[in-house]
Amino acid sequence: TGGHTTEILRLLSCLSESYSPRHYVLADSDKMSEAKIRSFEQKRAETFSKSQFSLDRIPRSREVRQPWISSVLTTLYSILYSLPLTYKRKPDLILCNGPGTCVPVCLSAFLLGLLRIKRTIIVYVESICRVETLSLSGKILYYFSDYFIVQWPDLKKKYRKSVYLGRIV
Amino acid sequence: FRFKDSLAEDLQSADLVISHAGAGSCLETLEKGKPLIVVINDKLMDNHQLELAKQLHRDGCVLYCNCSTLVETLQSMDLSALKPFPPGQPEKFASFLDKVFGLQ
Repeated sequence: TGGHTTEILRLLSCLSESYSPRHYVLADSDKMSEAKIRSFEQKRAETFSKSQFSLDRIPRSREVRQPWISSVLTTLYSILYSLPLTYKRKPDLILCNGPGTCVPVCLSAFLLGLLRIKRTIIVYVESICRVETLSLSGKILYYFSDYFIVQWPDLKKKYRKSVYLGRIV
Repeated sequence: FRFKDSLAEDLQSADLVISHAGAGSCLETLEKGKPLIVVINDKLMDNHQLELAKQLHRDGCVLYCNCSTLVETLQSMDLSALKPFPPGQPEKFASFLDKVFGLQ
């Protein structure tokens, strides 16, 4: 959604074409991100002719302030929904930055890794808005990601396994 | 106006921006090098929006007030004391990922 999409496109801006094809996963309720992504990819195609990407949508795992118990159920549903998608794409890398949508996708990839079907490297970049505390997605994925990147030093101090590269968006 | 696709034009022609503490608003304004006063609404605020606003204030990049102190802030502000906001560096991220995948 919105801010997350802008941040993640900035993260992608300096990546080489080795990171291709790119599969974007969006919440079904997200109306604005698709346009931003297409615009980004269009510009990219001007420089890198063989650039490829795709867009998939999954049910939103949690609404803002949705109560805990129903969140667990909707997230479980989203994980089940994501499994065939992750299995089909078998990504080498999953890059995410915090919207609720990313949790089921990452967990489904983690599961496929446990089952020895595909080992995906999960890189989580916490949003630049998070200076002192992690988002809920961050708190969960801190334990499931291969690299957990934070953008402010306070978070690096609190979360020892995290990576601090300064501000990257 | 209620909603525009992009505030880029308005931001470009502004001399001063007064905004809520949304990250997008703050960062877009600072990146254009415009002076920014962030107004915190104690009643509506989501805690996490405050984190970025507070940090930007600590770094001396924005002025900070709430609805009741806005007028006073506008009267006594010294915009020249605001520090520039250095842009983020996505190339560091690209470099990091390249190392992870042995692409260097």
